[in-house]
Amino acid sequence: MNTDAHERARKLIALAGPETLSAADRPSDQRSSNAWLAAHLETCASCRAFAENAAQTIHGLRAIPIAAERSLVSTTQIRVRRRALELRRNRERLRLVSVSCTAVTLCALLSTVVLWRGFEWLGERAQLASSVWQVGFLVFCVMPALVAAILLLAKDRHLADHTGSYRG
Amino acid sequence: MSSMNATAFYFESSMAQESTEIARGLRRRDADLLDRLIEQYQHRLLRYLVYLTGRRELAEDLFQETWIRVLERGHQFNDKYAFSTWLFSVAHNLAIDHLRRKQPASLDGLLNDNDEDAPFDVPATGRASAFDLTVQREQSEHIAAGMQHLPAEYREALVLRFQEGMSLEEIASVARVPLGTVKSRIYRGLSALEPWLKGAQL
Ligand SMILES: [Zn+2]
Repeated sequence: MNTDAHERARKLIALAGPETLSAADRPSDQRSSNAWLAAHLETCASCRAFAENAAQTIHGLRAIPIAAERSLVSTTQIRVRRRALELRRNRERLRLVSVSCTAVTLCALLSTVVLWRGFEWLGERAQLASSVWQVGFLVFCVMPALVAAILLLAKDRHLADHTGSYRG
Repeated sequence: MSSMNATAFYFESSMAQESTEIARGLRRRDADLLDRLIEQYQHRLLRYLVYLTGRRELAEDLFQETWIRVLERGHQFNDKYAFSTWLFSVAHNLAIDHLRRKQPASLDGLLNDNDEDAPFDVPATGRASAFDLTVQREQSEHIAAGMQHLPAEYREALVLRFQEGMSLEEIASVARVPLGTVKSRIYRGLSALEPWLKGAQL
C-alpha cells in the first residue's frame, strides 16, 4: 500500500465531520469514498489506530469545558445597553440637527423669495432701474455678514492694541 | 426517509425564521434581544475565543468587544446565514485586528508560548465511573496541553468543527480562507494532537 492511500484515508477520517446524513442522503462520490475507506481500514492497522485516536481526540476536545462567568455576561450586557443608549442619543441628535438644517434652508429660501419680491415692488414704486434695486437687495442680504465681520475685525484690533499697550 | 426530510425541512425553516427575527431585532438595536443572545451564546463564544487566542483574559475582553460590534454593525447581518456563523466571524475579525495592532498579520502570533498560562482547565465532572472519569480527564488534560502548542488557526478550525459542529463551508466563511485550507487545518490539527493523546494513554 502506498503512502498516498494512507494519507487519503487519514484525511477522510479527519474530515468525517459532525454531519449525520444517512447513507442514502450522501452524495455518490462521498458514498464511494466511505466504501473505499471502510475497505482500507479492514486491511490497514495503522489507519485503524489513527481513526481510533482521532475519535478519542475529538471526544477529549469536547470534554474540555470552558464556561463564561456570570460577571462577564452581566458586565457585557451592561456595556451593550450603555452603548445602545449612546447610539440612540447620537441618532436623535443627528436627526434634530438635520431637521433644523432643513428648516433653516426652507426659511432662507422662503425669505429670499419674499425679500426679492419686496425689493422689486419698492423699485417699481420708486421708479428705479432694476439693476439698482437688485444691488440694494444684494447689499441687504450681505449686510449682516458684513457688519459682523467688521465688528469682529474691530474687536481683534482693539484687543491687539490693548495687549500692545500693556506690553509697552 | 420522507419523515427525515420533513424533520430537516422543519429544522431549516425554523432556523431561517430565527435568523430573520434576529436580523430584524439587530436592525432596531433591540437591547432585550441582545441580552438574550449574550446569554444564549455566552459559553460557545467564550470557548471559541479562548481557543482562538489561547488567553482567557484576552478572550474575555474580545467577548465584550464582539457584542459591542454586534450592536453597532447588526444591520450587516444577513439572515440567509446562521447567526452563530456571523457572530464567530465578527469575533474572528476582532481577534485579527487586535493581533495586527500588536504585531504583523495572521493568527500565527497567537501560538501560546507561555506554558504556565493554561486557559483550557479541565475540572472533574460527569456521570461516568470513577475510572472512566479519570481516564477521560487525563485525556482531556493532555489534549488541552496539546492545544496550547498548536497554531491558533488549527485550534480555531478544530473548535469550530468538533465543538460547534460547523460545516467546512461555514468554517471557511468564519475564518475567511478557502475550503481546502480549512480541510488541511483540521487534518493537520488533529494529527498534531495525536502524540498528546498517546501521552495520555501511557
Ligand atoms: Zn492506511
